[in-house]
Amino acid sequence: MDLGLRLTVAASLAMTPLLPLGARLAYLQVLRHDNLSTRASGEFARTAQEAAPRAELLDRHGRILARSIPSWSCFVDKAMVKDPNAFGAKLAPLLQLPASEIARKTRAATRFAWIKTRMTQTEFQRLTEARVEGLGLVPAQERVYPNGDLARSVLGLVGAEGKGLAGIELSQDKRLTGRARRMEVIRDGQGRTIYKNVSDTGDEPEPLKLTLDRTAQFLAEEALREGGERGQFKEGSVVIQDPRNGEILAMAAWPPNPLRNPLVQDAFEPGSTFKVVTALSAVDDHIVRPDETFNGEGGKFQLTPGVVITDHEPEGDMTLTQILEKSSNIGIAKVVERVGAARFYRQARAFGFGAKTGTPLPGESAGELKPLSDLTKVGLAVSSYGYGLAVNPLQMVGAYSAIANGGTLWETKLIADGKPPVKVRRVASERAVKEISAMLEGVVDRGTAASARIPGYRAAGKTGTAHKIDPITHKYSATSYTASFAGFLPASAPRWTILVVLHDPKGAYYGGLIAAPIFARLGSRLLTLEGVPPDRPADPSLATAKR
Amino acid sequence: MDALMGFDPRRVAKFAGLGALFLFLCWQHVQATRIGYKVETTRREARALRSRVEDLRLKVDETLAPAALAARANSKLGMIPATPGSLRSLSGAGNESVSLLPRLWARLPLVGPSRS
Repeated sequence: MDLGLRLTVAASLAMTPLLPLGARLAYLQVLRHDNLSTRASGEFARTAQEAAPRAELLDRHGRILARSIPSWSCFVDKAMVKDPNAFGAKLAPLLQLPASEIARKTRAATRFAWIKTRMTQTEFQRLTEARVEGLGLVPAQERVYPNGDLARSVLGLVGAEGKGLAGIELSQDKRLTGRARRMEVIRDGQGRTIYKNVSDTGDEPEPLKLTLDRTAQFLAEEALREGGERGQFKEGSVVIQDPRNGEILAMAAWPPNPLRNPLVQDAFEPGSTFKVVTALSAVDDHIVRPDETFNGEGGKFQLTPGVVITDHEPEGDMTLTQILEKSSNIGIAKVVERVGAARFYRQARAFGFGAKTGTPLPGESAGELKPLSDLTKVGLAVSSYGYGLAVNPLQMVGAYSAIANGGTLWETKLIADGKPPVKVRRVASERAVKEISAMLEGVVDRGTAASARIPGYRAAGKTGTAHKIDPITHKYSATSYTASFAGFLPASAPRWTILVVLHDPKGAYYGGLIAAPIFARLGSRLLTLEGVPPDRPADPSLATAKR
Repeated sequence: MDALMGFDPRRVAKFAGLGALFLFLCWQHVQATRIGYKVETTRREARALRSRVEDLRLKVDETLAPAALAARANSKLGMIPATPGSLRSLSGAGNESVSLLPRLWARLPLVGPSRS
């Protein structure tokens, strides 16, 4: 036998044991390749997902109102835990939680249960190093509000799953939520992760800028809190708007509640602050002359049999200016009789009452304005001084802004999107609006709103005091009121329209006594902050300052 | 003997090349795995650092929150909110009565010329 043949035989014999191995390999690699490959991928390959980012909320100057920071949550896989007590004891020092609580959560779980959410970096590192079987770690984002409760009724809140639950966080949830980055990774035999590649780069949304001014918001909340904590009222709200473009600068509510925004969701009977609507409709169509007088009937006037209108002070003859200054219900009821239901209703609608302002906050109330057909003699008279109807604070502040800026009703703006302000309509002629504006200045200078005066500055506004409806008897309560003040300043070139609404004031319940001082305090702080020069040079206090 | 053993330099080179390629692929795989571990570790470190940065930014924001500033200004510095009457403007119409020399003096730079 030649050498070649012998070598071939020897090689063949040596290779024979390998044949079944080769056959097996071919079976696994060729015939069952796809199946086994999928199984292997399922066991070792993973898609790791980072927590979805959420956009920051900024104020008009780019200062942070809400932001998300990385955090971790840990959960238990009950199937992998043999002894819940031992599991709890091991985790307790790492998570700073009682062992019994961890054990209880583990026992209560069907298979999965959160043990702790919003963990710190230190806790995460401790857990990673401890390698506790049955415990999983998930990256998350914690929503934080660095200014505490500031503007929380506007901002709302975010749930544990990262979804908006109230306020802007809810209404703009889609805009604020980003897409998480996904990566393909492999886990080795020891459970360590090996990075493979990025399968989805994700999407980080741009910050959302609001028209709110953090400082103005703080001042508004501070002004409310001072009174609220002293028990001067049960609930209160303040809204500040820029009358030049309709931007909301502050929306404060007391007591603070991130789940509810009374400035948007609630409507109230405005009382005398609504008298401007009646007055404007009379002046705009030249129905009432400036020197024309209406008799105050000594403070008691029988409108129809059984219906008597009263004033808090007995008055005689009054011009329209004096009616507003003295806040006479009888006077304004006589004016509206002359104006007529159709004109009054048209004017109220022109101001936007009875319709939503379109603010991007959830649950806005449209208020309630009686239809024209329901404006009977009595209905019209009571509506003229703000009873029998309901307005939401944003509608009221928008109406006063329209008077402040010369007659333009702007769309209420809360998101600073860089677009120009939207003009809704002109509410009345410029002449009429200027006349009403001067009358409102008179209310502060000579009328019921003396405590709204700010030395050195011209302010304009109107007080309001309305009986609240008793929820049990469904009649007007003799002891429960809504006190309000709506005004703007500086009256020469208005920059701020401020509405103060206080529910259930204690002691002094008139708007002029309890709401107007809040307006003055807030207005004074804003004027100082912005360095607005005095527009009343003859004021004695200014003379003192110059000396 | 070479012919007997089937030794062919070309074949040897081919086998050597294939062997080298195999070794290279092995080395590349090992390197990819090693770098994969490293990337994952670095990613964790980056996340930890990002978390630290965010914590510090949060502390800054909390410190600069109006309520915190107002509280410190009041309790530590004894400051109270200014009222419009308590402020005096040092520019504009208020200074017109001041004579020319003090006005020029006031315009002189305090710490020498600007470097810009």
